[in-house]
Amino acid sequence: MNKLTEDTTQSHYNGNALFRLLSYMKPYLGWFFLCLVLILALTGFDLYRPMLIGDAIDLFEAEGNYSVITDTAVKYSIVLLLSVIFNISQTWLLQKTGQRIIFTIRRELYVHIQSLSSRYFDLTPVGKLVTRVTNDVEALNEMYSGILVRLFRNIVKIAGLAAIMLLLDWQLALISFLLLPVVCVLTVVFRQIARKTYRLSRTRLTDLNTFLSENISGMRIIQIFGREKRKFEEFDDKSRKLYQAYYREMMVFAVFRPIIYLLSVISLMIVLGVGSREVLDSAISIGTLYIFAQYIQSFFDPIQELAEQFSTLQSSLASAEKIFAVLDEDSCVREAEEPVLLPRILGRIEFSHVWFAYDGENYVLRDVSFLIEPGRRVAFVGATGAGKTSILNLIGRYYDIQKGSITIDGVDIRLLDKKQLRSAIGQMQQDVFIFEGTVESNIRLYDSEITREEVKAAAEYVNASAFIERLPHGYEEPVSERGASFSAGERQLLSFARTLAHKPSILVMDEATANIDTETELLIQQALEKLMEGRTTIMVAHRLSTIQHADCIMVMHKGKIREQGTHQELLARGGIYKKLYELQIRHETPT
Amino acid sequence: MTDRNNTTKQNSFSLAPYLLQYKWHYAAGIAVLLLVDLASLYIPQFTGEIIDGLTDGTLTDAGALLAGIFAAGLTMTLGRFGWRFFIVGASRGIEYRLRNDMFAHLETLSARYYNSRKTGDLMAHFTNDLQAVRQACGMAVITAFDAVIMTLMVLVKMILYVSFRLTVFAFIPLTLVAVSCYFFGIESKKRHLKRQQAFSDLSDKVQESFAGIRVLKAFVQEEKDLASFDRASRNSMEKTLSAVKLWAVVNPFLDAVTGVSLLLTLVFGGRMVLDGQISIGQFVAFNSYIGMLVWPMIACGDSINAFTQAAAAFRRIAMIFQEKPDIIDLCPAPAQEGEAGMRLTGGIDIKDLTFTYPDGITPVLSHVSLRVEPGEMLGILARTGSGKSTLADLLLRVYDCEKGAILLDGAPIDEYPLAVLHRDIAYVPQDNFLFSDTLEENIAFGLEERIADHPDLRERIVQAAKDACIHDNIMEFPEGYRTLVGERGVTLSGGQKQRSAIARALLKDAAVLILDDSLSAVDTDTEEQILNNLLRIRKGKTTILIAHRISTLQQADHIAVLEEGKLTEYGTHRELLEAGGFYARICEKQRLEQELADAD
Repeated sequence: MNKLTEDTTQSHYNGNALFRLLSYMKPYLGWFFLCLVLILALTGFDLYRPMLIGDAIDLFEAEGNYSVITDTAVKYSIVLLLSVIFNISQTWLLQKTGQRIIFTIRRELYVHIQSLSSRYFDLTPVGKLVTRVTNDVEALNEMYSGILVRLFRNIVKIAGLAAIMLLLDWQLALISFLLLPVVCVLTVVFRQIARKTYRLSRTRLTDLNTFLSENISGMRIIQIFGREKRKFEEFDDKSRKLYQAYYREMMVFAVFRPIIYLLSVISLMIVLGVGSREVLDSAISIGTLYIFAQYIQSFFDPIQELAEQFSTLQSSLASAEKIFAVLDEDSCVREAEEPVLLPRILGRIEFSHVWFAYDGENYVLRDVSFLIEPGRRVAFVGATGAGKTSILNLIGRYYDIQKGSITIDGVDIRLLDKKQLRSAIGQMQQDVFIFEGTVESNIRLYDSEITREEVKAAAEYVNASAFIERLPHGYEEPVSERGASFSAGERQLLSFARTLAHKPSILVMDEATANIDTETELLIQQALEKLMEGRTTIMVAHRLSTIQHADCIMVMHKGKIREQGTHQELLARGGIYKKLYELQIRHETPT
Repeated sequence: MTDRNNTTKQNSFSLAPYLLQYKWHYAAGIAVLLLVDLASLYIPQFTGEIIDGLTDGTLTDAGALLAGIFAAGLTMTLGRFGWRFFIVGASRGIEYRLRNDMFAHLETLSARYYNSRKTGDLMAHFTNDLQAVRQACGMAVITAFDAVIMTLMVLVKMILYVSFRLTVFAFIPLTLVAVSCYFFGIESKKRHLKRQQAFSDLSDKVQESFAGIRVLKAFVQEEKDLASFDRASRNSMEKTLSAVKLWAVVNPFLDAVTGVSLLLTLVFGGRMVLDGQISIGQFVAFNSYIGMLVWPMIACGDSINAFTQAAAAFRRIAMIFQEKPDIIDLCPAPAQEGEAGMRLTGGIDIKDLTFTYPDGITPVLSHVSLRVEPGEMLGILARTGSGKSTLADLLLRVYDCEKGAILLDGAPIDEYPLAVLHRDIAYVPQDNFLFSDTLEENIAFGLEERIADHPDLRERIVQAAKDACIHDNIMEFPEGYRTLVGERGVTLSGGQKQRSAIARALLKDAAVLILDDSLSAVDTDTEEQILNNLLRIRKGKTTILIAHRISTLQQADHIAVLEEGKLTEYGTHRELLEAGGFYARICEKQRLEQELADAD
């Protein structure tokens, strides 16, 4: 139930994520180096400022001269001015390079995901991939433009503070450090507890939000069924659990923060108590005591920040590991070294002894051979899982086969130019995906070479223009996947127009099984008839009317082609096809 | 709509009752804050006194002063726990109560309200707006208090303990911090929103491309898709950098302002030390006081922003509460006594019903008159957009129609308590909404009893599932009826969802059952089975069956044809065929199609 636990993600990637992340900094090493130098200087300034004042205090006593003030003031102003300039340039530089790196990684990841084979998309939920490209990459930003440098800064600062204190008076310094181990231990413990409570409240928040969004969408049903009271009880339960989690989070902070504060007060007491004795003994000056008092307070923030930064670093690394796991995914369908570019694809398709499995040895196609001449219509029929859809996917090379060969116009498709191959194939899926944009942009997709006239002509040709023109804005009608109000039939027609506009020479079609109203159904049949004209057509068909008009019917059964021939021939044979046919008839006839 | 809201804004909804519930928390919290701020003044003073004692050699034992520092430190430690406990704790409590009240109120609002709002927008009230209000009730109270009280106390302390003139010099630059934090907060919010927008645009883009990757590959559009991704990604980068630019300047700027204050202290305070006007100890304490003023100055800007944002957020939340439910029981008092005794028998009389949606112009239904006898099965043939779902909505009183246009057992629909309508009318919606719960809970959704209290319900659930032809599918799931639906469990196909929704409605065994195009995703075989089951189970009870397949409708006692909101045909299957109208044409078309398929 707890989706936020991280241990599930650890196993995917074993490389050294940190090292690999650092390698992305290579082009910007110069800038990073400059940042580090600036930070060294800034830390120096931070340490120097109390010293200036402390020294001045000593000089007030010793000399009592106005020039001391002027001197110190000038030095102080210079340091202040440089601090401001360095600080601004450092932050800006770092963020800019960080963002550039993020941009690069995001692009690399996106390109890689695009190139992955369809198998990968079958197995991976889209949401997960989106999170990789968006949130996980964003989490890296923290690391490049924040954590790395702040870690460095805090370490330098702590080391600097300690070094100066030791140099000034090593005995007083050591006594001052007495409580620091306690602070470190407490901080680490606190981090762990805080992380746990934080995670708990995140989970409960997600829980509540999921419940809310579902029940707001389902409010109609809740009201119609009169279930308001019970739903409120469920809501209250989740709401109270979230409240309790938040309350716990608040308590953790309420206890820890003041305790750390108390420790810093005690440290100050120690410095003042021991230090004042030393001043009385003339072992140190009052100025030194001032510096000590200031410095010991400055220790606390960097230590707490360090703890926070380490845990951010951890979650950055967790994100990085998830990203690298995707980047290392090697299920690409590779382009041949020197791809063959045919002058024109005619559409002669041959499968010879094709064996294919999505994974391992579970073959979905076993020794499949057939030949389709250009311009012919072939229908694949068979029960679910017989391997029909796999054949369609293999022609466009969305997967690579294990054994045998697939050729188009006599050339093995693994040698063909992938772009040319896929452009020649008009692939139509069962569910038609609508992209955000307009009707027109959905027919054209991104191809700017298709003119508006061609878009319209295509829509006209496949009977889609009638419903498009009925839309308030016609071809300009804004559409999106979620907001689409098209019926299943209209979606089909739209996809026909999309396919036609891209002028394929081979049609590959997975016929929709969805119920489509009778009128649209007729339009679809007519459009399909026109689309298939002069094109090699391979389809997985469900409707008898479609099947009967095929030149050849291939009957698939358990990964093999068991029968082939025309409708009449197959019926006469009385084999699997006859059984399928009878089943289908029973299905489509009303009682 | 805005007019109405404005007039009722003052008295309709206020945060006061919530705050009053926690008045003692706030009183205690503020007392503690005062104590903390007071105590915090003494640490620099005691430190200064130690240094003075050392300078003029009067200090022999720092013990008493150190004890003072410790006492102040301990007070602050306890106090800091205290104000978090009281004030932050109260804000969480207020958040919890407000959240529950919001949800409870939403439950009373009707379809009209939800139609005009996106789920995401309503969610935002529960997340962003509630958070803004909570912060105003919690941390912002503390920052505002510090901003005012702490500033005053530190200033008074500086003036009394050190010097008035020096205080004025040192404080002037610090006011810049407050002013700039205020403006920075506004600008930062603006840029942050733009950045979020850019990021969410990027997410949408990636989401869409990956969801449609097969199409993109099939049409070889990867490169162009990448170009469009690049644009979104670059935009996100630019918006981030624009937000960063602000932070890059602000922190060093604050640092610089404090530095200037310290510099002025050094120059003027140093002279005063040399002139003997103040002691070195006072000088040191003064330096610490300046450090202590930085936070209240930042707090000043921050809290103004927090309150401004919370006010806007609260106005949005108040809008929810100002929304009045428009489907209400007209006579709730007798409902309570008579609810159990009041039963629908299933007679429905629709008289010259014309209905226009609250935000619509043209009527969706016009002059529809229809009579359903108790126990009758009425089929409605309707094309998309013909007003069929509206009819179902009106029978369920999702919307109100003209008084007297719909009579149930002879009485106007709005004279029945909603509870009676919802109990005695079962409904299978077109969109088959199921909840992320177990299948049995989903099927039992319409029952008063809970499965936990009545285990014998399970048999009835199984029977309803069998009647709806979903039982076999359910048994194939790993955990049978206890299988979770949705993201965390199984994903049901459209047909399975429809059949589960049918089981849910059948289980209620209500006097009236309305099926709104509920068999569209079910294959013909199963459809026939379900129809036969319906005829058997619903004998003697009213059933309204909306569909667009003749095969679904033909067995109904009467069939009505709805076309563009008008009732155009009415009769039995046979009568309508003979009449040769739209029904007959559709029937012929569907029959021809069948024959075409059967040919050869």
